[in-house]
Amino acid sequence: MSKKNGDMKIKGKDYWRSLDQLADTPEFNNFLKREFPLGAAQFDNSWSRRKFLTLMGASLAMAGLASCRRPEEKIVPYVERPEEVIPGVPLYYATSMPFSDHAFGLVVESHEGRPTKIEGNKLHSSTLGASSAITQAQTLSLFDPDRSKKVLKGEQEKSWNDFVLNWIGAFEEFKQNKGVGLAVLSGMFSSPTLSRLKKSFDKNFPNASWVTYEAVSDENIYNGTKAAFGKRYRPNYSFDKARVVLSLDSDFLLTESDSINNARGFGKARNVETEKDEMNRLYIVESGYSTTGANADHRQAISSGDIGAFALNLANALNNLGINVAGTSAQLVSDKKFKWVNELARDLAGAKGASLVVAGRRQPAAVHALAAAINDALGNIGKTVLYSEVSDTSSSDSAGLQSLVADMNSGSVSTLIMFGSNPVYDAPAELGFAAAMSKVKTTIHFNDYVDETGQLTTWHVPKSHFLESWGDTRSYDGTMGLTQPLIRPLFKSVSESEMMGLLAEGKATKGYDLVRQTWKNKNKGGNFESRWRKILHDGLEQKSAYKSESPGVKNSVISKFLRDNPLTNSSGKSGMEIIFRSSPSLYDGRYATNGWLQELAHPISKLTWDNVAYMSNADAKSLGVKNNDVVKLELDGRSLELPVWIQPGQAKNSVVVELGYGRKGAFKVGDGVGGNVNLLRNFSAVGFATGLKVSKMNRTHALACTQDHWSMEGRAIVREASLQEYRQHPKFAEEAVQHKPLESVFDEHSYAEGYQWGMTVDLNSCVGCNACMIACQSENNIPIVGKEQVANGREMNWIRLDRYYSGDVEDPETVHQIILCQHCENAPCETVCPVNATMHDAEGLNVMVYNRCIGTRYCSNNCPYKVRRFNFFNYTKDYSEVEKMTQNPDVTVRFRGVMEKCTYCIQRISAAKIDAKNNGRKVVDGDITTACQQACPVDALTFGNINDAESRVSKKKKFNRNYALLSELNVKPRTTYLAKIRNPNSNIKKA
Amino acid sequence: MADLAQTETKTLKEPAHHERLITGEPSFEHVTDSVSSIVESKTPKAWWVLFGISSSATLLLLVAIAYLFWEGIGIWGLNVPVAWGLAIVNLVFWIGIGHAGTLISAVLFLLRQRWRTSINRFAEAMTIFAVICALIFPAIHVGRIWVVYYVFPIPNQMGVWPNFRSPLLWDVFAFGTYFTVSLLFWYVGLIPDLATLRERATNRIKKIVYGVLSLGWYGGNKQWKHYEMAYLILAAIATPLVLSVHSIVSMDFAVSLLPGWHTTIFPPYFVAGAIFSGFAMVMTLAILARATFGLKDIFNMRVLERMNLIMLVTGSMVGYAYAMEFFIAWYSGNEYEMFAFVNRAFGPYAWAYWIMISCNVIVPQFFWSKKLRTNIAFMFIASILINIGMWFERFVIVVTLSRDYLPSAWGYYTPTFWDIAILIGSFGLFFSLFLLFLRFLPMVAMSEVKGVLPQADPHYAGNKQTYSQAVR
Repeated sequence: MSKKNGDMKIKGKDYWRSLDQLADTPEFNNFLKREFPLGAAQFDNSWSRRKFLTLMGASLAMAGLASCRRPEEKIVPYVERPEEVIPGVPLYYATSMPFSDHAFGLVVESHEGRPTKIEGNKLHSSTLGASSAITQAQTLSLFDPDRSKKVLKGEQEKSWNDFVLNWIGAFEEFKQNKGVGLAVLSGMFSSPTLSRLKKSFDKNFPNASWVTYEAVSDENIYNGTKAAFGKRYRPNYSFDKARVVLSLDSDFLLTESDSINNARGFGKARNVETEKDEMNRLYIVESGYSTTGANADHRQAISSGDIGAFALNLANALNNLGINVAGTSAQLVSDKKFKWVNELARDLAGAKGASLVVAGRRQPAAVHALAAAINDALGNIGKTVLYSEVSDTSSSDSAGLQSLVADMNSGSVSTLIMFGSNPVYDAPAELGFAAAMSKVKTTIHFNDYVDETGQLTTWHVPKSHFLESWGDTRSYDGTMGLTQPLIRPLFKSVSESEMMGLLAEGKATKGYDLVRQTWKNKNKGGNFESRWRKILHDGLEQKSAYKSESPGVKNSVISKFLRDNPLTNSSGKSGMEIIFRSSPSLYDGRYATNGWLQELAHPISKLTWDNVAYMSNADAKSLGVKNNDVVKLELDGRSLELPVWIQPGQAKNSVVVELGYGRKGAFKVGDGVGGNVNLLRNFSAVGFATGLKVSKMNRTHALACTQDHWSMEGRAIVREASLQEYRQHPKFAEEAVQHKPLESVFDEHSYAEGYQWGMTVDLNSCVGCNACMIACQSENNIPIVGKEQVANGREMNWIRLDRYYSGDVEDPETVHQIILCQHCENAPCETVCPVNATMHDAEGLNVMVYNRCIGTRYCSNNCPYKVRRFNFFNYTKDYSEVEKMTQNPDVTVRFRGVMEKCTYCIQRISAAKIDAKNNGRKVVDGDITTACQQACPVDALTFGNINDAESRVSKKKKFNRNYALLSELNVKPRTTYLAKIRNPNSNIKKA
Repeated sequence: MADLAQTETKTLKEPAHHERLITGEPSFEHVTDSVSSIVESKTPKAWWVLFGISSSATLLLLVAIAYLFWEGIGIWGLNVPVAWGLAIVNLVFWIGIGHAGTLISAVLFLLRQRWRTSINRFAEAMTIFAVICALIFPAIHVGRIWVVYYVFPIPNQMGVWPNFRSPLLWDVFAFGTYFTVSLLFWYVGLIPDLATLRERATNRIKKIVYGVLSLGWYGGNKQWKHYEMAYLILAAIATPLVLSVHSIVSMDFAVSLLPGWHTTIFPPYFVAGAIFSGFAMVMTLAILARATFGLKDIFNMRVLERMNLIMLVTGSMVGYAYAMEFFIAWYSGNEYEMFAFVNRAFGPYAWAYWIMISCNVIVPQFFWSKKLRTNIAFMFIASILINIGMWFERFVIVVTLSRDYLPSAWGYYTPTFWDIAILIGSFGLFFSLFLLFLRFLPMVAMSEVKGVLPQADPHYAGNKQTYSQAVR
């Protein structure tokens, strides 16, 4: 806590109404007795109830102020000015979150100076108001009591000033020798200020080496575009314009870069309102089962090493159709082992300029080059894909890391600065980074945790969270955004800009000044102050994106590249293939300390709190293993033990593992969760490798899965049809379940006046990205319960994403279904509660009265959707003061023994109603967005007033795809579903 | 069957002519002596051993409950979807046990089945103790015990009433009524015998305690007249409770909309099951008491055989209900219902289902054989098996929760140590109370037994005793 708090702990003031009262004169007392005869007795006593309450109120207000950590510099709120803070009314500030080598534009809700909720910024092209699970979870990361709190020299606590003085000494020394022996290993960034400072670093230390490395990166993509176009480009996809999409091992809807926009565009092109609409078609070839694979119309499980060969086959098939793919003529093949290559080629050729081929980041550069060449041949460049050169960005460079480690080992590095990176954990094990680091005299670690690397370095400097830092970013399309602090640093940490400023310029400068300097340089002329205010308000500078280009593929370059880097699987090694995937929740491990993300069920396997060795059913059978059995994975002499999880639809002879687990410096949340697969990674094959040996160990490791059952048991739960079937039977969804008309013996509530809330969930749009789950968790103060409780079926999420497989276990189709409280009109939970703790309100909501609940759990038993969640223990009891700051003050924090469930974000409904009432109007459509709806990048969720025929939700409920889940029970749910449509190619026969 | 019919016709005749319900032709005095002496004699060692075991188990119950209140419901293996577990299983089980007592004391009394006299006190005591055990569970299984009084219709400043549509609220009233009526009925029946003990009391404390409890009973004609009327009225009040209480318990399940719970057969099937399990429990206890206290004349083979026949009848009814549930599930054409029953028999809890079927359906069928139903060892084992089976019946019903409508929400419930602890503890409490009853109160209704002795007939040839002799 800051020094200022001391001053604030003054006694609450005595408020008085007039000078006479202050004087406590007999005249005044007489006056009071006359005016308030009933309350007169109170005033005889100097410690009256009224006075007590006044004092209590004032001292509470002061105590409340103590927790305000408003940043010192002036920042501009998104909606209202900070001077107008009204207690209880949140303010919204725009900021941006640096991530990988791009960023997300966000708007953060702040309650009395405390950021509690993150949304996408509607103005910012990177999110357009939507968000992802990872961005939503950042408030919890901010208020993590395990974060690094102080500067450390070895074990010793030092101050920031100590470090500054120390560095200034070193700075002068290195300036003399131009940086010989100085090296920086940095995480990726995309920031004008950091880039500016890096340039001055380079100028001051021309002989120093600067290497950027992260375990998950788009390096292969950049190399691929370089091979295709001769220039290092970043592809920008427009999925909304693509009618036919082929994904080559790319999970573009969730784990690849720019996934929010990808999902939005994809959803747009897939949306059907009536049976006459057209929709896109997605083909995917991949090894593991990804979220994108779950959304595909045609999916083929092939090993990652075969993806290149598949692409060549496609090029060959296109060639046969008269479409020549540059650079491939020498290698064209036709391999019988791949299905539907010719049909795909015809489909792509039929959608010239409106098709798209994307390749995943773990595929080698050659595949990306070939994908670009195919897009070029199909005339997609400039239409569905644009390219841009990135600037102000530092991207991962694995060759650089290799030579850095070589230098460290040779002793030529005397000072190594690790800037926002954790190489001891995430550098491929073959490098032996920790050993190399021990040969460096001075090591400086700058990161948000005393992590695996920080525990071994000479110095550790705590890094501020982006919500407490000044900074700036460039998003995936290059839009320049500002990062503004929502709160003063909770601990003694410094921001990236400040640290970089010190390293580069040898003096400690405030982050605010550094960032302003950068923007001032970029905005010469005109009134900078007013532009700055506008940029602060919006969180970004409009029209600052990178220049989009439509380059042509350079035949000579790509031909040579493909000759040197053959696409066909030629490693010649026997053994299984191992595929390294980034975790959809923990990414590369940096979010391992975040309990929300640890407990977030994997979108496909529904596993929490662990990473596993995913393998196909056939492989598991031949190895004689089943779920939870531990296997030993051996690759190039290194080994790791992980539990097995059988993944239907995974390519045979392959094992998929996810990064981000097995942390040893992730403290009470992340330590010991899963295994670190970086221990198996090689530089030669960061994405996937062959030669894996798998052997069964004689032990098991219990995994916590939130959905044990795979199949829908033939029940009409997720209703799905092909586009063709939909056209023949437009009302298929409703007709899927036949029952007699359901009647009530009672007169039902008419809802003739006022509001009646309802929701639709479009299963056709939902891609299964989990953003809604974390949004709900953050909005509604949902506790995490830990692995054992999840394994016992006690996870608390109010909204969940169900996943069902259908078809063959080796090649299943997957559907997702969001389930939240359906707010039944005839709610079965209400009738069985003995104490009326759950009831219907006048607007149709099924509400939960926590104070009244005695916890019989009968309501949960009687809920056919099983959306109710019970506080089996006092999960919220042991929150530290810091963790408590994450909680949304608008939502009750529940106690042990009460039932809870989705409320349709009743606090948001109330806020909108109060606001409308104050403005003398009715709530109109769009005033209320639930947290899940707001986070959704594809607008799968629609909430509103179903009494209003013009509201979006009413219109959607009139779609012929609309159906009520379990309607035959006559519970009359207010949440209805819009059936899923797939668009398979009719020329491809199902196996 | 012929034998049974013959017995029935004989029973309806004058006491002097019917078959002896009490064997060995004891005198009134002998009845009084043999029953009272159990209470009056020195506490046998065996009693201390048994009481030591059962009170330890009671202690375990108290520890389990204390820990539960301290830590929360999470110490049990419950989850979503299976939000009810052993607590509710035990509740239904113990309430069911209680039913046999009421049936024996009230229904058979009204039907003038006088063979009940030897076991009715015993069975009524069992009812009281079983209901006490049962009532623990609805109280402790709530999440917030400190506000459990919300279920009572207490006028309050918030103006909030309980929800009268909820079967759990019906339970509150049903259990409350049942416990009150059973207690009164039992106590009223005890009064003449308490007076006997008072008369026989050898020390002052006993005299005062029994004196207060016997409410000034002196055995006058008027008293007997009022007593018999009160007893008859209470029997009439208690009789519908035999049907209503377990019907209402069954509605906790039947009123829900879960497949496997939402069935109209539940009320009669639960009542039959309750009587079935109750008789099994009376049998277990009676055989033990008979062996321990040498009451072979009173708990004689004729009584035991009749009880076995009731078990055969109710067991067959329960078996019929099981079959009918399956049939209706299939006949309804409701896929969820069909799945629920197939899942019971072949799903993850199939083991529990087949324990239930073997114990409840197959075991009582052996009572068709006269040889087996008059074999003490066999009926003892059978009664225990039936109790196990009936406990599993409730278990099978409750864990139907594990797989309902949406397969995504399916789960599995595994009882934890604390779940088991309350089960064991509830048996401990039951037996502790029962042992205290055996030690301090007459376990056989002496006054009633005397009424079915041949001497009770005014025309009995050898009747030379006066009443005052009889009550001695």
